[in-house]
Amino acid sequence: MRTYALYLVRRFAQFLLVVFIGINIAYLITHLTPVDPVEQAISSVTMFGQSSPEMVEVMRKTLRELYGLEGSPWEQYVSFWRRMATGDFGPSLSAFPTPVSTLIWQALPWTLGLLVSSTLIAWIVGNFLGGLAGYYRKNSLLKALGILAMSLQPIPYYIVAFILLVVFGYLWPVLPISGGAEMNIDRQGFAFAASIVRHSILPVLSLVLVGLGAWFIGMRSLVSNIVTEDYVTYAELGGVDRRRILFSYVMRNALSPQLTGLALSLGAIFNGAIITEFVFGYPGVGTLLVRAVNSGDYSLVLGITSVSIIAVATAILVIDIIYPLLDPRVARS
Amino acid sequence: MRIMRVLAFFASAWLIAQSALAQGISNLPREETIIIENPQGTITNPPWFNIWMVARGGNSNGLQQLGMDTLWYIDPDAGIDGVWDNSLAADKPQYNADFTEMTVKLRDGIHWSDGVEFTADDVVFTVQTQMKNPSMIWGPVFLASVDTVTAPDKHTVVFKLKRPNSRFHATFTVRWNAAWIMPKHVFEKVEDPTKFDFNPPVTIGPYKLHSFDPNGKWYIWEKREDWQRTSLARHGEPGPKYAAYIDPGPPDKRVILQLNHQLDIIHDTSPEGVFTLIKQSPTSQGWFKGFPYAHPDPTLPAVMFNHQVEPFQNADVRWALALLIDIKAVSMASYRGAATISAIGVPPTGLYGEYYFDPLEQWLTDFEIDTGKQKYKPYDPTVGQQIADMLRPSMGEQIPTDPKEIAKAIGRGWWKPNPEAATELLERAGFTKQGDQWLKPDGTPFSITLLVEGDQRPVMTRAGTMIVQQWRQFGIDAKTQAYPSDFFPRVESGDFEAAIAWSVETWGGHPDLSFFLDSWHSEFLKPRGERQPPRNRQRWTHPELDKIIEEIRTIDFDDPKVQELGQEYIKLAVREMPIIPLMSYNVFTMMDTTYWTGYPSADDPYTNPVSNWANTKYMFVRLKPAKAQ
Repeated sequence: MRTYALYLVRRFAQFLLVVFIGINIAYLITHLTPVDPVEQAISSVTMFGQSSPEMVEVMRKTLRELYGLEGSPWEQYVSFWRRMATGDFGPSLSAFPTPVSTLIWQALPWTLGLLVSSTLIAWIVGNFLGGLAGYYRKNSLLKALGILAMSLQPIPYYIVAFILLVVFGYLWPVLPISGGAEMNIDRQGFAFAASIVRHSILPVLSLVLVGLGAWFIGMRSLVSNIVTEDYVTYAELGGVDRRRILFSYVMRNALSPQLTGLALSLGAIFNGAIITEFVFGYPGVGTLLVRAVNSGDYSLVLGITSVSIIAVATAILVIDIIYPLLDPRVARS
Repeated sequence: MRIMRVLAFFASAWLIAQSALAQGISNLPREETIIIENPQGTITNPPWFNIWMVARGGNSNGLQQLGMDTLWYIDPDAGIDGVWDNSLAADKPQYNADFTEMTVKLRDGIHWSDGVEFTADDVVFTVQTQMKNPSMIWGPVFLASVDTVTAPDKHTVVFKLKRPNSRFHATFTVRWNAAWIMPKHVFEKVEDPTKFDFNPPVTIGPYKLHSFDPNGKWYIWEKREDWQRTSLARHGEPGPKYAAYIDPGPPDKRVILQLNHQLDIIHDTSPEGVFTLIKQSPTSQGWFKGFPYAHPDPTLPAVMFNHQVEPFQNADVRWALALLIDIKAVSMASYRGAATISAIGVPPTGLYGEYYFDPLEQWLTDFEIDTGKQKYKPYDPTVGQQIADMLRPSMGEQIPTDPKEIAKAIGRGWWKPNPEAATELLERAGFTKQGDQWLKPDGTPFSITLLVEGDQRPVMTRAGTMIVQQWRQFGIDAKTQAYPSDFFPRVESGDFEAAIAWSVETWGGHPDLSFFLDSWHSEFLKPRGERQPPRNRQRWTHPELDKIIEEIRTIDFDDPKVQELGQEYIKLAVREMPIIPLMSYNVFTMMDTTYWTGYPSADDPYTNPVSNWANTKYMFVRLKPAKAQ
């Protein structure tokens, strides 16, 4: 127990260090970018006519003060960590004065809904079919599925998304191809939920089609190795029901690495599915991040990146905390 | 298996039943709703309607088109009732003799959407509030120009200016937007107007906010019941009861949505997307009936040289580079031929054909450059015609045959490529050729890095790539470099040699060039490394140019001399070639007539169709429901 406690302390310290270093790197990168939010804001005004040089100077000075960009780089850095300690990412520079956290919280449910569902569907279906394919190696239908999975995996995501758009948005236009829900729909009740589901079918399908292949192939290889183990052969010779061998002996053992992969995938969804959200015009963190980068809003970029770093590090931490309970050798090592 | 089949049947039936709902709008009659692309895409700060603050919410979500209003509008085309429209003002601005005072008479009977009457106090409040808060968009302009602003009576506003300014009214004149008037009765109750979201907005335009997406994907506006009490009413009743501004996503999706009649106005798409729509959707129409379909914006994409970088100070070098460009190839590469080319320093837009292109055609034909070894007439008046002939075999009847139509749609003449003359000009500038490579006078290779915006502006990026290829074929070490995000900040700080962008923007409908020309005065020139105020991105100065600008400042906006001075600038720019003009920025706005008719077009150019311009409010009074006809 003491070993496990020590392991936990060490692992938590590591977690804090990783988060601290990760956020610092993100801070450095965002602040080294040549895109200046003040200049972006001025460009957006002057591009359409107001270009008196005097006016530009006054506006530049006022905006720098307003955005809190005055002060030395060190003062800005200290003020950033002071705010971070209270979970405050500060105001967005492209949507000033709305707090970054408000923007992230508005976008996050869409991304979580989309990516959690597609990741879980791809994981469950991919592993289930991959397990079957690894166990029933001579089944022609499963072989065909294997070929399909191998063929789908290398296709760039946006091609699959575009094909779905054309098929279900143009050739047989039965599904919405844009947005998260219908316009002007009452946001309470079943109709809104049904609209969200309908709008998520194509983005989820595109993510599942591409993601499923990797889980399928991974599980098939794991199962293919396990079925050659002595205990499986022994169980088969002993006349144990094949379905029981598959699900209780083989797939259960093969699931550990797949669970790790699932946890990492779930942690990474806080990044948002940038291409998916862009292609399907889906509201979410990915769309928010692209807009933040384009407008030089480094407060927002940093907020999204920090949430993502914390999420991934937390996912890994959770896995690492659970593993030693299953296998004590991990804590000792 | 039976269960699977039953499930599949119900799933298909459900999908088909949903196809009507896939139209994307709920609880509003489609026949009374127009759906328009919001070119700003998804709005980062959806509930923010305080349009007076910098980069906070959205402008193109219908707010400035349908909710706001100001004193005057200038149409980039012919206009609904002429180019100039007195909107909240009852008449044109009246200046005193030395342009230090401007008096405005306002319309009577205009009301805000909450029933409060619009008066001169609103205008005074707008100016004074922004002067107190320079982080508000027009605050610095007012601070720099206005000494006092007063309202002697309910319908009169008097501005006393800090110095003579014959163009002060431009601040209140919509080209794309302008200083919108604030509702005093709303903002005076607010403690800090810079932190006020103005949600829901009290409007002075003919529509009020109906609803919006908290994620910024769509905004719906509803016609005011008292629309007669707005300035637009004198042109008629707006047709659509509802207007939805949406983010449809990338260009391919815009095309698919219009093919499905789910998007009435596409703000802009790719030339290829337009060709698809023309081929497959009989209800879609562009600005021109035929090629190039697009609306030529009053901006002028050009090759801009940084005049503070060697060797681009030398006019011989700039002219040599111009004479190496084959504009036909550039037109094909960038717009697939759907470009409207321009050889001179103003865009071939709106009424500029009458103001500048027609009067200067003979001068251009006679214009000579002296290379030192030969006198050469570089202008080829038939280039537009040649592009039309090139396109005719593939586009057939879509290509106009009438020379006047070709001039309007595809352009007039341009410079004949002439490598021999370019060689002579470069040699006169001290350049030498070693093998296949040109060397600068100091013996180093002549290299040019041309900045492009990459995927932010693919059409111009393609143009840049073609131009670089043509320069390379001549022996110049040229390449493009893409800066999608920080292109303009980089250009404005002088961190470039050459770039494809525009520094020329005009009113389009009105010949006055002060809109861009005033900031080209040498008094505003910054040293390299310091940010140049926007517009004179090329950092070009010339004593003759200063004289032209100074003279424009001292004459009235409508003085016929404006056009003369504009022509003088164009002639100087042809001689000096500070930027190489290429074409107007063609915006591929496509309009679907399934639900609405009466859109503006080159044949009926009563307003700009490009949906992010505030001028599109005029479209609303001409739009009629198609199904009712």
